[in-house]
Amino acid sequence: MSTPHLAIANISKRFGAHQALDGVSLEVASGEGVVIVGPSGCGKTTLLRLIAGLDVPDAGEIWMSGTQVSARHRSIVPPHARGIGFVFQDLALWPHLTVQGNLDFVLESAKTPRASRGPRVHEVLSLVRVQQLSTRYPHELSGGEQQRVSLARALVGQPRLLLLDEPLSSLDPALRATLRDELARLRRALSLTMVYVTHDMEDAAALADRVIEMRTGHIVSMTDGHKRDERT
Amino acid sequence: MFRWPSSRTAVVGIAIAVSVVCCVLPVAYLLTVSLSGDAFSALVLDARQRGLLFNTALLGLGTALLATVIGAPMGLVLARISLRRKALLRLALAAPVLLPPYIVGLAWTYLGSSTGWLSALSGRELPLAWTHSLPAAILVLSLVFYPVSMLATEVAMRRIDGRLEEAALVVAPRRRVIRRITLPLAAPGVFAAALMIFVLSVSEFGVPGLLQVRVYTTEVFTAFAALYDFSRAVVLALPLLLLCVVVAVVAAALLGDRLVASRRSSGTRSVRFDEWRRSATAAAIAILLVALALPLAVLLGEALGARSLGAVLADSGAAMVNSILLATTGATAVVSVAVWLGYARARSVGRLGQGVDILFVVLFAVPSTIVGVGLIGLWNRSGPFGVVYGTDAMLVLGYLARFIPITALALAATTRYVPVSHEEAAAVSGAGWLRTMRRIVLPQMRLGLATAWVIAFVLVFGELGVSVLVAPPGEATLPIRVYTIIANTPSSHVAALALLQIAVIFVPLAALGAAVSRREAR
Repeated sequence: MSTPHLAIANISKRFGAHQALDGVSLEVASGEGVVIVGPSGCGKTTLLRLIAGLDVPDAGEIWMSGTQVSARHRSIVPPHARGIGFVFQDLALWPHLTVQGNLDFVLESAKTPRASRGPRVHEVLSLVRVQQLSTRYPHELSGGEQQRVSLARALVGQPRLLLLDEPLSSLDPALRATLRDELARLRRALSLTMVYVTHDMEDAAALADRVIEMRTGHIVSMTDGHKRDERT
Repeated sequence: MFRWPSSRTAVVGIAIAVSVVCCVLPVAYLLTVSLSGDAFSALVLDARQRGLLFNTALLGLGTALLATVIGAPMGLVLARISLRRKALLRLALAAPVLLPPYIVGLAWTYLGSSTGWLSALSGRELPLAWTHSLPAAILVLSLVFYPVSMLATEVAMRRIDGRLEEAALVVAPRRRVIRRITLPLAAPGVFAAALMIFVLSVSEFGVPGLLQVRVYTTEVFTAFAALYDFSRAVVLALPLLLLCVVVAVVAAALLGDRLVASRRSSGTRSVRFDEWRRSATAAAIAILLVALALPLAVLLGEALGARSLGAVLADSGAAMVNSILLATTGATAVVSVAVWLGYARARSVGRLGQGVDILFVVLFAVPSTIVGVGLIGLWNRSGPFGVVYGTDAMLVLGYLARFIPITALALAATTRYVPVSHEEAAAVSGAGWLRTMRRIVLPQMRLGLATAWVIAFVLVFGELGVSVLVAPPGEATLPIRVYTIIANTPSSHVAALALLQIAVIFVPLAALGAAVSRREAR
């Protein structure tokens, strides 16, 4: 059996009196799209932040491509060295940088040669269909455009794992459906390994190979995404 | 048909009228006089004026730079490093800004005198030319004003949405995130604070006067108080006023709504630098030693030579009592007006609100000696105005002119902590505006109001630039008394008075600190 791209073993995390995660284990295969659903406060975002290395677990281990990246109270591999792209719920576009600057920062940090940065930025912006916006600042963009730029920023470094934290939650239903389809198209085209957190079942149906349901810090069910799609 | 204004319109209207009379009219009067006279000559600088402008600009630039170099890293420390007893450390690090600058200057002159500690340590006398020089004034003012940069940097760092940094951490190491994301986002706040320090230092009268540095504020004072040349004072005031106004406008525009905004945009934890805890603690202690402990120790060392504290009090007891009474009256008057202006600002939105912020900052930036000359020009005349002139009311007018704008900005930020919905809920319940303010809004602002009063008390108690010009003959406040006896009174006596002044300042501050601690403990 091949090594899973992401392996989470018995992870727990507590914030004060609140047990956010309690012994969660999960494996994600390379190229697989996992959607985590559940009500607010069930631990979805905490799990994503632990995978990214933005928080450390109180117990358990996290492995990526056979390398341990997190242990109890310890981040072994820093976030920027884990090969991930992250789309935040509020997008977190850097307001003092243009669209190009936001993407360029990622490539510059990865020590991509200057000459190849411009074409790569253009390529990814074209992929998400906002290439004409490269000189704009985030506040000059509409909500949908910001969403696309945020996705482009997460993709530009060619991450091995894409993490998305309710990226479509602030959009109106029509725009949400459009961007959901775009995301599904991109995932297929790029064969992305993806962990997507949402509380929206339509997102799950459109994007998941596997749907994981969480409640009060536990995984309560795992369903094949397509089977779930057929049921719904 | 005539309709009585609503209680809100009436109260806010009265507050605006008082602030226009106290803050705007003196400046408008000076501008009118200078423009109706030979205004052009005021702006075409002769060689003497160019020298003044050079010295003034150098004092402002040097102080802004040095204070930022000291204060901004401390702001970073307070915002991003977990330290023990951080609230107490912040209070101690901020304390120098509450010391009257000329008292720190006084300590500096004792430190660098022929019998001072520096001479004793180095084994040779420091040249007087260095003790009383522009670099010395820059150093003293930087040690007084660095907390402005420190607090502004801390606020700017805390306001940064933690997710912006997290988004960068996913792709870049922490030092790079700080350099490319955190610092650029905090830069406008740090730069605006540097501009405010520039304005505060070029507006300062006490320190350059004490250290015999020729700048605009001291020349305005000399022209008016020593040479009795009102028109020359006005001519000298105009370039300084323009300089301060321009810089203040830039600073206020840079800060925008952040002057009165009160909440962070995200609760996400920011990038921390706890591995620098030891060096940060060492740096904070070093700054505290130089900026707070050293001046106090020097003054204490000098004061120990005083004949007796009783003799010192006997000589200056009246000035002390007068100062406390005036500071109490002044602070109460300032807060009584500023609270309504702050309320009006907090509840206004868009360009009007930002315009008001800029006006407040500009009025606060008007140098004290210019305010003094403006007040005298406005009130020293026959008729009803003359009744006020020559009384203690002129001092209170001066305090209102200087401190209403900054207090109103602080109280606007406090008012914003009270959600508008609380007022709306009271209105729906049938309460009138005055009752809503008395029962709903003001009780929620108690600590903010107490803080504003204490800060106003401290500022009024140490005020020198306006007081020294407008005080009635024979009436002296403690700062005037200390400032005028420096030249012809034993240093031990002067140092004892300066320490007494600091002691009076720290009593309300300690009470406020205790109140804050109790609240945090709850």
